[in-house]
This record gives sequence, structure tokens and C-alpha cells, in this order.
Amino acid sequence: MFLLDAPITGRREVARGMFVLTLRAPQVASAVRAGQFVNLGWAPGPLLRRPFSVYRALDEDIEIVLKAVGTGTTALLAMEIGDRVSCLGPLGRGFELAHAAGVVLVSGGLGVAPMALAARDARAAGARVTWVHGARTAAELCGEADGDKVVWATDDGSRGVRGTAVAAAPDADVVLACGPNRMLAAVAERWPDAQVAVGTYMGCGTGVCLGCAVPLKRGGYDRACKEGPVYIARDIDWASLPSHLPYAVPA
Amino acid sequence: MSAQIGGLRLRGPVLAASGTFGYGTEVPLLERRALGGMVSKGIFLRPREGTPPPRIVETPSGMLNAIGLQGPGVEALIREYAPKWAEWDFPVLVNINGESAAEYGELAARLDGVPGVAGFEINISCPNVEQGGLYFGNDPHAAAAVTEAVRKRTDLPVWVKLTPMVGDIGVIARAVESAGADALCAINTFVGMSIDLNAYRPRLSFRTGGLSGPAIRPLAVHLAHQAARSVRIPVIGIGGIMRAEDALEFLVAGCSAVQVGTATFVNPKAIAEVHDGIAAFLAARGFASLGDLPRYLPRD
Repeated sequence: MFLLDAPITGRREVARGMFVLTLRAPQVASAVRAGQFVNLGWAPGPLLRRPFSVYRALDEDIEIVLKAVGTGTTALLAMEIGDRVSCLGPLGRGFELAHAAGVVLVSGGLGVAPMALAARDARAAGARVTWVHGARTAAELCGEADGDKVVWATDDGSRGVRGTAVAAAPDADVVLACGPNRMLAAVAERWPDAQVAVGTYMGCGTGVCLGCAVPLKRGGYDRACKEGPVYIARDIDWASLPSHLPYAVPA
Repeated sequence: MSAQIGGLRLRGPVLAASGTFGYGTEVPLLERRALGGMVSKGIFLRPREGTPPPRIVETPSGMLNAIGLQGPGVEALIREYAPKWAEWDFPVLVNINGESAAEYGELAARLDGVPGVAGFEINISCPNVEQGGLYFGNDPHAAAAVTEAVRKRTDLPVWVKLTPMVGDIGVIARAVESAGADALCAINTFVGMSIDLNAYRPRLSFRTGGLSGPAIRPLAVHLAHQAARSVRIPVIGIGGIMRAEDALEFLVAGCSAVQVGTATFVNPKAIAEVHDGIAAFLAARGFASLGDLPRYLPRD
């Protein structure tokens, strides 16, 4: 785990109101695995850090995906190239990608966030990658997806299959999913063994504050930031996991 | 930069506050040299699951939390954490919680003499189940009864963490001083609530939560000062300390040491920065030790 002052090195819009922000964070870029996240702080910004899945890792840079969902993310998107963000990471437990011939990635909305790295790591593990990516409309669909096969899905049919990404996805040995918790609950019904990256409110990101409690089927809670954010879908008590958070992914 | 709290000599005046430092094994990138001491996450006799999510929410310059004192119970704490503490070069006090005065006493008795346990911080902001859920900390008699129950079972330092949700903190402070407390910690979180305007209900599943962070700092400085004016025992200031200057406000206002809490969530190096900043301030102003720092503490 590293704590870095990371300059912003790039920003691009990948869907309506959805941006990829690039940060120079060499130690994080070389250590991060798919499904892990960074906890970012910026000024002016909120008091607590905010967690973001690492979208891609380049040589010295990491990328994150965000939308302006509140005053904090609005301020982050208003920062200039060269401005510095405090970056703590990589954090959490990512996807397990060993021994898979075929991997299906299922992402909804901002749930693209961990999937570019997941595609990279799945391919490195020798798997054939199918990426099924959904959003409400074509305009809200992140235009970047990368796999041996890519399936697009929109609720209104404006691009690709009409309906949800979960419905549009084929079966596979290994399913990795990220998106709104409501979508992940549907993933759990169809593929109880799927690996899902959940979204919670988060405080410290390092296992101390116990704020990011994830309710478990076996009873009790554990920490999205430490034991998660990736879980086996059937292990989560979906009815008790809030689905109405203002930001939808470990975003 | 050492600080004296009753019989306990600390190598520095900055401690880690309960609930913001786990059991001392979780905080990353920790610089132990700067840590005067640590207060463990609050513990009950038995394991507790904690409250359902959402458990935390950010509010202006602060955060509300309702974790529900999730924890493994005292036996697991003794088994898993105390042996580590015994090897550390700073004292660890255990934050103890109960539903009756007898439970607090039982906890103190169980932990007294366990290697690694240097003392106790009593959290009196718990509901007294035997008295209809009224908080121990709001009632001078109940607060004193809890303090006495612990005092009788241990010779280790006993600190009492005061709640700010009282009419006159001096009354509670004097009551627990008379009951044998060695020091006071002022203050615990304020009770607050935040409403989700989409769901038309509280944003925390527990409805209310404890407010911490810079939002409460001026309130905390005032209450710690009031407590310090009311007693002869040392007061440890807590509430929204993010930087050395914040800690110095508490020290000038009459506190003998401080605890840093929420800041650690934001900046894992906060305690070291506060500690180093206090040292730099003392040096820059020509004070040889913490004891030379001028205090504003008129006696009532």
C-alpha cells in the first residue's frame, strides 16, 4: 500500500457525463490487480477520501472512472491537468482469475470501472474474454470495452441488445460483475458463484473504521475495503445491502 | 515531548482515539515513534455484530457513524491482540463498554493483569439497560457507579470518556473524579442525524450516529476546557483534531494530551504529523517542554 501525491495527467469523456481520469501513481500502477481500488482525497474536496476502482494501469499511470454525483466528484472533475490528488492504494482484494478457459465480464453503468483491468488479467491468465456491458441508453454507455467478444446492452435498445447486461450475458466458467447493487443481486440469482465487486459507503479504505460493512449470508458483516470489494455472489445477504447509494459502484 | 497522565508517563502527547485505530494492527503506514499511546476499539464482554449498513455518512466537515461497537468480545481481544500489545513500546488502553455497571466491572477484572493491557478508558456513552436505556454518561450517579465498579477491580489507570450530550459537563467530570478516575477524555461524538431526501428517511440505518471531525472541534475545545476547569485530574482533549494547531488549542485550553481520531481515516499519517507539528511549534516558540506551553485555565 502506498500513499502518493498523484498529479492528474489526463481526462477524457467516455460516455455522457462519465469521465476517465488519469493519475501519475507509478507504485500503484505496477502493484494493482483487477478489482482493487484506490482511496482518493483532494482539495477543495470532501473530508473523507472516496474509493475508486482502478480502471486501467499504464506504465506509470492509473485510470479511474467517475461521474459528477455530488459536490466532491464535481470538484474532482473541475481540477486541472497537473493538479495533485492524494492517492492511497492499491486497496482491497481483487478478482481471482486463475484457471479459467472462458471469462465473462458483466458491467452496468459505472460498473465498467474494474473491468478493463479484469480483461487484462483474464487474458494474461490465458482466458478468452467476453465483455457484456450495459447502461440505460447508448449515450450513457461507456464507449470503451475490450474483449475477444464485446456485447452491448441498453435498457431502451438504443445500442446492442435491448435489456440488461445480466440478461444479455452468455454462461461461462468464470463470471465477474460490477454495477449497481441491484444488478449484482440479479447476478447472484443467475450465477451464485460469480465474483462481484460491490459498492458501499466507505471511510478509511484500510479496514479500520468498519464503515463499509457488507452483510453476509452466514450472518454478521465484513469489510468491503479489506475482505472485499470482490465477493462470491452467493455469500452476500443482498436484501440487507443498501442499493440506493448515490454512487453505484466501488467506484 | 513526554506527557504525564496520572501515573502513566507517555512519550508524547498524541494518542490514537478509540474506534479509529482498530486494535493497533490495522492502520497502514503507521509511524509508531510518534504515538504516545493508543486506545483500542471499544470492547464488550461478548462479541457484537454491529449495525446494518449504511453505517457512515459524510456531513459538512464531519462524519456520522453508527458502527454499533462491532467487536470480537473480550476473550478474543485477550487471545489475539493483547500479546501483540505486550511487545509494543507504547501503552494500549482498552476502551470498555457494558450494559450495566457490573458488566464494566467484570470487563476490568478480566483484563486486569493481562500483559499488554496498560489501562482502561471507560465509554460511558452506552445505554444502561437496567435503567431503561438511559445513558450512563448523562447521569452523574450512573457515571460514578460505572467508574467505581471499574476502579474497585483494577489498579491500572482508569480514564473516563465523557459524552458531550449533557447539560453541564463539569457535573459529570466531578462525579467521575470523585469515583476514582485517573483522567478524563473529553469528548466523545455528538449524536446527530442526516436525512436522505430521495428516500425520505435517515441516511444511516441506525437513524442516528456519532458526529466527529472538524465540524465539532470548537464545541469539543469548549467542553474539554470546561471539564479541565472542573477537576484536578488530567483531561485528554478529543474532537476534530486534523493538524498540530488543532491539538495545541486543546492543550492551551487546559488538556494534558490529545487523541486523534477521524483524521486517521483521512490521512494514515495524521498522528505523526500532529506530533511533529506540536514539537515544531514548541521549538519555534522557545518552549523546552510541553509543560512550558502557556495554558488558559482560570479556575472556577
